[in-house]
Amino acid sequence: MANVELKNLTKKYGDVVAVQNMNLKIPHNEFLVLVGPSGCGKSTTLRMIAGLEEITGGEIFIGNQLVNEKDPKDRNVSMVFQNYALYPHMTVEENLGFSLKIAKVEKKEIEQRVKEAVQILGLEELQKRKPSQLSGGQRQRVAMGRAIVRRPDAFLFDEPLSNLDAKLRTQMRTEIKKLHQNLKTTVIYVTHDQVEAMTLADRIIIMKDGYIEQIGSPIEVFNKPVNVFVATFIGSPPMNIIECDIIKKDNNLFIQVDKNTTFLCPKEKINSLENLKKVLIGIRAEDIVPLDNAITSNNANWTFEKIIDLAEPLGTETQLFFKLSNKEIISRMYNPRPVNIGENIIFQIAINKVHFFNYETEKTI
Amino acid sequence: MMKHIKKISFWFLVLFLLILICMPGIWIFVSAFRPNPEILAKPANWIPDRWTIHQFTQMFSINGYVSVPAFKYLMNSVIISSVSTVIAITIGMMGGYAFARFNFKGKNKIFLGLMLARAVPGISLSLPLFILFAKIGIINTSFGVILVYVAMNVPFTIWLTDGFFRQIPKEMSEVARTDGCTRFQAFWNVELPLAGPGIGAAAIFAFLLSWNEYALASIITRTVHSKTLPIGMMDYLDEFTINWAGMCAIAVVMIIPALILTFIVQKHLVSGLTFGGVKG
Ligand SMILES: Nc1ncnc2c1ncn2[C@@H]1O[C@H](COP(=O)(O)OP(=O)(O)O)[C@@H](O)[C@H]1O
Ligand SMILES: [Mg+2]
Repeated sequence: MANVELKNLTKKYGDVVAVQNMNLKIPHNEFLVLVGPSGCGKSTTLRMIAGLEEITGGEIFIGNQLVNEKDPKDRNVSMVFQNYALYPHMTVEENLGFSLKIAKVEKKEIEQRVKEAVQILGLEELQKRKPSQLSGGQRQRVAMGRAIVRRPDAFLFDEPLSNLDAKLRTQMRTEIKKLHQNLKTTVIYVTHDQVEAMTLADRIIIMKDGYIEQIGSPIEVFNKPVNVFVATFIGSPPMNIIECDIIKKDNNLFIQVDKNTTFLCPKEKINSLENLKKVLIGIRAEDIVPLDNAITSNNANWTFEKIIDLAEPLGTETQLFFKLSNKEIISRMYNPRPVNIGENIIFQIAINKVHFFNYETEKTI
Repeated sequence: MMKHIKKISFWFLVLFLLILICMPGIWIFVSAFRPNPEILAKPANWIPDRWTIHQFTQMFSINGYVSVPAFKYLMNSVIISSVSTVIAITIGMMGGYAFARFNFKGKNKIFLGLMLARAVPGISLSLPLFILFAKIGIINTSFGVILVYVAMNVPFTIWLTDGFFRQIPKEMSEVARTDGCTRFQAFWNVELPLAGPGIGAAAIFAFLLSWNEYALASIITRTVHSKTLPIGMMDYLDEFTINWAGMCAIAVVMIIPALILTFIVQKHLVSGLTFGGVKG
């Protein structure tokens, strides 16, 4: 039952800045996901909140209390590590009850709370086993159980699913989501996997090189990325980014994608693009629609024809690869039909689905 | 067929080497139980004509006559070796933990220094030690010997336990600390039990090193007050005669505990070196 707040949080290792001036308010019961490429400072942030890493600058509040000087044991947060870090010399039961035993909770109560966690996570059969006798998924459950038993103010997860195989990962993802809905606590979850971030988060923080790039709901960061980095990081396959020239002709502003592909600049962007020579445009694969299954819309469309270099059927969709302005572009064809390499396909893009980024700063226009 | 011959000749070779290596040990055991003249017989007499425990009864003054106060030496050895081991392993464990877990200035240099200290031949320290100990008045005391053995064993135990602690992922103590432990509680409840077999092995190594040490003890122990078994063995060396049987008997007294501990250490070392399931 606590909100978490970071003020100007900074961490340096010598000259290496791991986290830079991070400001963040996490309300009670929020599922917050920190996502970003490896080395961007996610773990460091989490470990500072847990008290395992000294803070170079800034402040951390948990439940409105300044915890900068507090030991991990006094912060009442639980952490789940990527390698689970179960106590190998203790049984599942002992692992779960360890924190309570240390806190000198009465034996009866320990049993009660361990039993609760065991039931929530379906560990009944495994109570007497040692961690070495458990599968990856089971260890993951025990690690979560150990965190639950303490009834912490906040759960901290550091890439808890990355050691699991793909199928189990999807399954555990759902379980974590359910768990959060049942327990109603603050969760701060670190991952480098944007799919995990999108599916789990109430709010996503996208980090790069120790900085926060964007904070927002999954839909927000997907639909309105603030820059090229976020646009290409969130979503799979990554957003197509194409370098374009801006040309004026007959009092109209055109975006020239390549020699024979241009489209009319949308009205609302004219002001900001008028004085620029170049612009980056971003288009998601699913917004590049083959004409034969294009949905007619009221929006202005941009239509062009291309030769297909490669087609990858995935069942529900087929990914089509072609070249635009010498860049490899991915498009998604839903309700697919067989496509031959070398075939000409007419694509249509709704102009309001095109993202514009400043050529120099890569910020969204 | 060739395969069989190869195998058999291989085992013969092994057996031969084994006998060769064990020969001195066997000779000591056999000789401890027979009279002196028989030991000196030529050609060598491998199976004693007459078995006797005379040397042992004398040594432990069972029939009143004490040739060499072996019991006192045994006690000295036990006390000196155990006390120095307990101290060395305690210090070594803390040092090893610090080296494995903390970053501090000059860490690598200090570690290198400790290892270099091990490279100094002990005997070269004997004269300085003798003079120093004589000056401060701890020559010929158990305390002095313990001090030397602790100094001798600490770098070694630090080196061993450092390795054992390194094998335990640091998340282990971190998760314990978020589970409500102080640093010490995390060490005590989680890291120590996990490193336990390794530390036990290191302790036995340290014990054996002290138990068998001769060079330094021969300089700083002078009387029955502080002499250990290896030094006591020299009591059988008289001006004109050597009581080989007595020497062998006291050697047997020395070897048996060492042998038992070696067996234990073997078992522990294996489990100590192959931590199961720590990686999770
Ligand atoms: N103990 C450390 N000493 C020095 N640099 C470190 C240490 N831990 C992390 N770093 C650096 O800090 C940055 C952020 O690391 P980390 O938070 O682990 O990244 P992430 O979890 O996002 O992959 C990286 O550049 C990493 O090299
Ligand atoms: Mg990390």
